[in-house]
Amino acid sequence: MAERPGKDSDAILGVIPRLVFEPESLEEAEDAVARCARDRLTLGFIGGGTELGMGAAPSDLDAVLRTSRLDRVLEHAPADQIVTVEAGATLAALQAVLAPHHQWLGLDPPWPERATLGGILSTNAFGPRRARYGSARDLILGVSIVRADGTPAKAGGKVVKNVAGFDVARLLVGALGTLGLVATATFRLHPVPEAAATVLFPALDSAGVSSLAEACRAAQLEPTSLAAIADSDRFDLGVRFEGFAPGVAKQAERLLDLGRRERAAGERLGEPEARAFWGRHEAVREMGPLRAKVSAPPSGFPSVARTALTRLLGELSPAGAVFYPSLGLGYVAGRPSAVAAVAAATAEAREALAPLGGSLVVCEAPHDLRAAVDVWGAPPPAFALMERLKGRLDPDRRLNRGRFVGGI
Amino acid sequence: MDPRGSIAELGRRMGAVVGPDHCFTAAADLLTYECDGLTHGRTRPDLVVLPGSTEEVAEVVRLARAAGRPIVPRGSGTGLSGGARPVPGSVVVGLSRMRRILEVNLRDGWMRVEPGVINLDVTRAVSGAGFYYAPDPSSQSICSIGGNVAENSGGAHCLKYGFTVNHVLGARVVIENGTVVDLGGPAPDAPGLDLLAVLVGSEGLLGIVTEVTLRLLRRPEATRTFFATFPSTDEAGEAVSQIIAAGIVPAAIEMMDRLAIVAAKAATGLDWPDVGAALLMDADGPLAEVEHTSERAVDIARRAGALEVRLPRSEAERQLMWKGRKSAFAAVGRISPNYLVEDGVIPRSDIAPVLREIEAMAKDHGLRVANVFHAGDGNLHPLVLYDARESGQEHKAEHLGGEILRMCVRYGGSITGEHGVGAEKAAYMREMFSEDDLETMRFVCTAFDPDGSFNPGKVFPATRLCGERLEREGPHPAEQAGLIERW
Repeated sequence: MAERPGKDSDAILGVIPRLVFEPESLEEAEDAVARCARDRLTLGFIGGGTELGMGAAPSDLDAVLRTSRLDRVLEHAPADQIVTVEAGATLAALQAVLAPHHQWLGLDPPWPERATLGGILSTNAFGPRRARYGSARDLILGVSIVRADGTPAKAGGKVVKNVAGFDVARLLVGALGTLGLVATATFRLHPVPEAAATVLFPALDSAGVSSLAEACRAAQLEPTSLAAIADSDRFDLGVRFEGFAPGVAKQAERLLDLGRRERAAGERLGEPEARAFWGRHEAVREMGPLRAKVSAPPSGFPSVARTALTRLLGELSPAGAVFYPSLGLGYVAGRPSAVAAVAAATAEAREALAPLGGSLVVCEAPHDLRAAVDVWGAPPPAFALMERLKGRLDPDRRLNRGRFVGGI
Repeated sequence: MDPRGSIAELGRRMGAVVGPDHCFTAAADLLTYECDGLTHGRTRPDLVVLPGSTEEVAEVVRLARAAGRPIVPRGSGTGLSGGARPVPGSVVVGLSRMRRILEVNLRDGWMRVEPGVINLDVTRAVSGAGFYYAPDPSSQSICSIGGNVAENSGGAHCLKYGFTVNHVLGARVVIENGTVVDLGGPAPDAPGLDLLAVLVGSEGLLGIVTEVTLRLLRRPEATRTFFATFPSTDEAGEAVSQIIAAGIVPAAIEMMDRLAIVAAKAATGLDWPDVGAALLMDADGPLAEVEHTSERAVDIARRAGALEVRLPRSEAERQLMWKGRKSAFAAVGRISPNYLVEDGVIPRSDIAPVLREIEAMAKDHGLRVANVFHAGDGNLHPLVLYDARESGQEHKAEHLGGEILRMCVRYGGSITGEHGVGAEKAAYMREMFSEDDLETMRFVCTAFDPDGSFNPGKVFPATRLCGERLEREGPHPAEQAGLIERW
C-alpha cells in the first residue's frame, strides 16, 4: 500500500502527521485503519480538503488517511435512481457519471470539483438546493465503513425504503469522521430538471427577505432554492424554480406578482444573469479566512440578522453573507479586522441565537482567532450521550482526536 | 421467589407514581397488551403502566430498572412486526395517555407533541391553516407518533416526501437511568452527533420518547390522481419504470395485482374491473407542474399497455380510489380466512421478475399471494393467504413469507421497508447483515442502554455477540417465540 511520511500539505490545521496512507482499494483502507489500531496511532481523514478548517485542530495526529484514490463509482442503477460510490470520489466527477442519464445527486455544496462524497457526508455540507432535496442526511441510503478497530461494516442498503436495523448511515452524517472511516456510500438520485428560472429581488432588508419567503410558501410555490446574499444590511434574494418548463414559467410569474403585492420589485433573470447570481452566492460560500455557519428557526432570522450578524459583518472586510430563509441557515464570511473584536461579535451572535435554539459554528478561521473562540460553541445538552457513543465506536478515541464538539 | 422482587410491590410503587388507575397487574387487564398488530405471537407482561408525563416516565423507568425488569414501550399497538410484544417478566410502558399537542408554530413549520398523539390528528390540527404532516402510514387514523418514531414509519407518499426520520426535528427521550435527554429542535443542524437520526427507527431499544417536534408542510397547491388497469403486473411495472424514467417524481404510485383488486372490490364495492393489475398514482405540487406531469404519466401508462385510465371527477371520487387501495390489506380477509402481511423491498426495476418468482413460490407452497405495494420505491406487501383450520397451512404460510424476504435480499433489497424488524424479523437480520454490521449497531444500542433494559429481543437476532443479555435473562425471547427455530 502507498504509505509515506507526512508533509506540510498533509497537515490538518497545522498539525503534520508522521505517516500518510493513500489506499487504492477498500481492502487497503481497512489494512491502514487496522494497522493504526494495532499500533495505537491517532488517525485523521482527508478527502478533498475543502472543509478541513471545520472543527478544532487535532489534539494528536500520528497518521492521516487520504481517500483521494478511493474514487470509483461502484454502481449506478439509473432505473432505480441509486448510486454507490467510494468516499474519495468528487461530487463533480460523480455528477458527470450521472449526467448522461439525466440524473443527479441533489447536493450542491461549494467546491464540487474538489469536495469528496466522504467529506460532504462527514461535514454535512450543503448548498441552496437543500430547500428541495434536503441534505446528505436525507439522501443517504447506506454506507460501508471501516471502524476504528479496522473492522469493515455496513448499514442501511441500496433501496430507497429500508428500516432494517439501526440507521448508522445517518449517524455518520456530520460526525466529522469521529466514528469511523466512511468507505462507500449509497445515495438516492433525482432526475435533472428540464427547466430552471431564477427570480431576483434586489436590496431587501432582512424582514423583507423573510416575508417574501413566507409569502412564497403561503402561495404554495415550491422553489428549489432560496438564497439571500448580503455584503451589508441589504440582501439580494434569489429564488430558483426547477422542474418541467410549464411549471417553472408559471411559478416564476406568480412570484413576480407576489413581489409586487409585497412591494418588492423583482425580475426574472436571463440565463447569464442567473448564472452570475448563483456564482456570486458560490463566491460568498467559499470566502475566507473566517467563515461561520449560523442556524436559527426561520422566523428568528430578521432579528438576528439586524443585530448580531450585522455586527459580525462589520468586523470583517471584505465581508459577505448568505442566508437560506426557508432553511433557517446561513453563512457569514470575510477577513477579520481585529481578533478581539471578531471574538466579541461571535460571542454576541451566539448569545442572540441561544434563546432561539440556534447556533453559530466557526467553519474556517485564521490561527490567531481560533485561540480566542471555541469553534463549536457550548456543548449541546445531549453531550454526555454523544461521548458514550464515541466511546463505544472508538474506545481509544483515536479518530480525529479532539476535533469535534466538546473535544470528541 | 422471583429474585427481581414481587410484582405486587413493583405495581404498588408504580401506582404511587402514575396513579393506581394507570397501573395493572391483573391477568384480565394485561390481556390487551399481549401482542401488537402482529397477533400470532403473544406474551403476557407482568405489569402495564400508563404514565402521564415525562417525569412519570422517568420514574417508571428507574423503578423498572431497579427491579431488573425489561421495559417494553408501546404506542397504539398497531405495529406489524411485534415491536411492542412483551417479553416474559416485562413491564409494558404504554404512552397512550400522553396525547397532548404541546405547541404549534406554523411560521417555522413545526408542532411539538406527546408520543401518544395519533398521526392523523397532527394533520387535522393544522389542516385548516393549510398545513399537514407528511408521513402517512396506512394505519394513520389509529397509530401514534411515538410508534411512528420507533418504527421510522413511511406510507404511500414517502416516495416523494420521505419517512418519519425526514420529518422529526427534535425529540425528548428518557434513557435507561431515567435521565431526560433533548435531541435536535426547531433550528436545523445542531452541533454534535446526530443522535436523533439513530433514535428514529430504533424500535424502542434506545429509550422512551416523551415529546416529539414534527415538521409541518404547506399543502401542495394541487393533487392529480389517476387509476389505470393493465392486463398483468408486467405492463403495470413497465409503466412505473417509464414514468420514473421520464423524470417524474410521483407523490405516490401504488400497484395491486388481480387478487388484491378482487379483495378491495369485495370490501368497498368499488366498480373496479377484473384485471391483472392496477396502478394508483398521485402527482402533487404547483398546479401548472402537476397538470403537466400527470398528463405525461397518463400518456406513458397508456403507451405501456393500460387497458383503461380513470381520472376522478371529484375529491370524493379520489378519496374513494384511495380507500380502495388503503383497505386492500383488511379486504383480503374477505377472500381468505387468514393472511400474513409481509413487508419486503426490492429495487423497483425488478418488480416484474420478483412478482413472477413470488407466484412460482406460492404455487410450490400450494398457497395464494395477493400483492399490494408501493411500486415507486419497490416496497412489496405480499399478503400470504391461508386457512389456519387446515393443519400445516399456517406453518407453510410463514415459510413462504420467509422465502419471499430472502428473495428480496437476494435482489439487493431489504427485509423491511416500513413495518420494522421487531420480534418477527430479528431472525432474518443475518440475511442482510454480517456479524460485524450487527455488532456496530449493537455498539450504538449499548451506548444508550448498556444493560439492554429497553425492548429486549427486538431487532437483533439471538446473538453470539452480546452474551451478557442471554446469560442474564435466560432464553432469548426470539427463541421462546420459536422464531429462530422456525426453519
